[in-house]
Amino acid sequence: MRSFAVLLGKETTALFSSPIAYVLMTVFLLIMGYSFTLTLFLSHQPSMVHIFFQMFVLFMLTAPLVTMRLFAEERKLKTLEVLLTAPVSEFAIVLAKFLAAMSLIVVMLMLSGAYAAALAWFGDPDFGPIYSGYFGLLLFGSALVGTGLLTSAVTANQVIAALISLSMFLLLWIIDNFGWLLPSPADTLVVNLSLSVHFRPFAVGSIYLSDVGFFLSVTLLMLLLTVRALARR
Amino acid sequence: MLRAVSPVVLAERVTKWYGPRRAVADVSFAIAPGEIVGLLGPNGSGKSTIFRMLTGYLVPTSGRLEVAGHDVVEDSLGVRRVISYVPEDAPLYDHMRVGEFLHFMAGLKGLHGPKARAAVDEATERLDLARVMKLTTGKLSRGFRQRVSIAQALLGDPRVLVLDEPTSGLDPHQVIAVRDLIQSLAGRHTVLLASHVLPEIEKIASRVMILLDGVLLTSDALKHVAQDLTLRLSVDAAEDVVRDATKTVAGVREVVADGVGRFLVRAERRRSLAADLVSALVAAQIQVRELTEARPDLERVFLDLTRRPEVAA
Repeated sequence: MRSFAVLLGKETTALFSSPIAYVLMTVFLLIMGYSFTLTLFLSHQPSMVHIFFQMFVLFMLTAPLVTMRLFAEERKLKTLEVLLTAPVSEFAIVLAKFLAAMSLIVVMLMLSGAYAAALAWFGDPDFGPIYSGYFGLLLFGSALVGTGLLTSAVTANQVIAALISLSMFLLLWIIDNFGWLLPSPADTLVVNLSLSVHFRPFAVGSIYLSDVGFFLSVTLLMLLLTVRALARR
Repeated sequence: MLRAVSPVVLAERVTKWYGPRRAVADVSFAIAPGEIVGLLGPNGSGKSTIFRMLTGYLVPTSGRLEVAGHDVVEDSLGVRRVISYVPEDAPLYDHMRVGEFLHFMAGLKGLHGPKARAAVDEATERLDLARVMKLTTGKLSRGFRQRVSIAQALLGDPRVLVLDEPTSGLDPHQVIAVRDLIQSLAGRHTVLLASHVLPEIEKIASRVMILLDGVLLTSDALKHVAQDLTLRLSVDAAEDVVRDATKTVAGVREVVADGVGRFLVRAERRRSLAADLVSALVAAQIQVRELTEARPDLERVFLDLTRRPEVAA
């Protein structure tokens, strides 16, 4: 357990001592701040539904930048050899990297909490959809980080890792548009792979167990596949 | 080939394929506790692959590898608890300070608090790292990187130390210091080191294994050194005449010109060889000026065993 804490500390320090984390947070806050202000002034509604959908897209674009280096960099610099020959399990290594990357997602979500606070200060928003939206983004973020971790574990090239992740996210974002065109029961199957189909209810204030299960299953599957990818050497 | 004493490292018919390329072929060896064993071979001969399999980084395609009774596939974590590894090129986390890196590695090896501090202090002192403890590893010279890598391997007092080219990139003083350090580990640790630098491995190891194209040519090259005999011969005759005269002498393997009127005679070590050789030369009316035994060396054995067109040329 203490070895895991050592690993987690190393991963978190590495992430937050790199400029990528701060550039991402700055870009995220700038874009979200602009979008939030514009939406608020145009709609005059104390709602964050629109913001949550924007964060959904922005997370898909930024998560690969957070995860691409996690294993690919270690493989390229050969430090993976140091890490994987140390007496710690592959699962502990994967989990530490996952939690470190999730900590950045959590920090970004917390910073965006300023928008909710502003709405509460100046208006009377319905907090139900706000809570569910944040919960959905957290689950969605974990699925993205899990997938990014897997792509980073299978290549030594960070750019390739990021591009594979991004392609998968974009495909799974819009796959429902294609799924509706398919005959039954293929349509249900394909539509249910869609990230946006499972995220939409969270953003508008509904939490379904199927959506929670979807994101948790994707996260768990990706983490297990990452452990498997590391173990198959 | 396998020794009767209970080995701390045991390899049985280990093979590793990288796609269509066979990196290690049917390698078997055993290493007794406390031995310092050198693994010698040209670049690309499979030394690092064997080490990576031993330390659990790679999985053998077939065969069995055990370290201190733990199977590297079935109980990889058990192996990693008793083995420490210095990879080739000394990979380090460049953003970490030396002290931070050593404490991180101590933590991974289950050392925390005062135990970690004591282990780091000891390793720091042995490798003379005190003056670079606050520097980030990315700013270190090649020599210091190597020493930091060796220092992390010593943390936790591992039973088996695996060092891949441990003196690569070090200056002569540092090479001597590392060599002394490795020799001081004998008995307390079992050390397995790889190198393609022959004199270095000859000075450090108590046993030398030679690897070529993934095939283990010998698990004790020094035994070959003891078995073989090289004589320096100085005569007043041409090369072909000397060859003709000595070809009937039992045990003579080859005669190689070593200057004008000077030859190296390689033969099996036996008591009356020098006398037989002189008799044969005299019988061929060749005047022998000098016949002395040359110091046997590992280089000869290595070149003989690993003879390939470019080596033999």
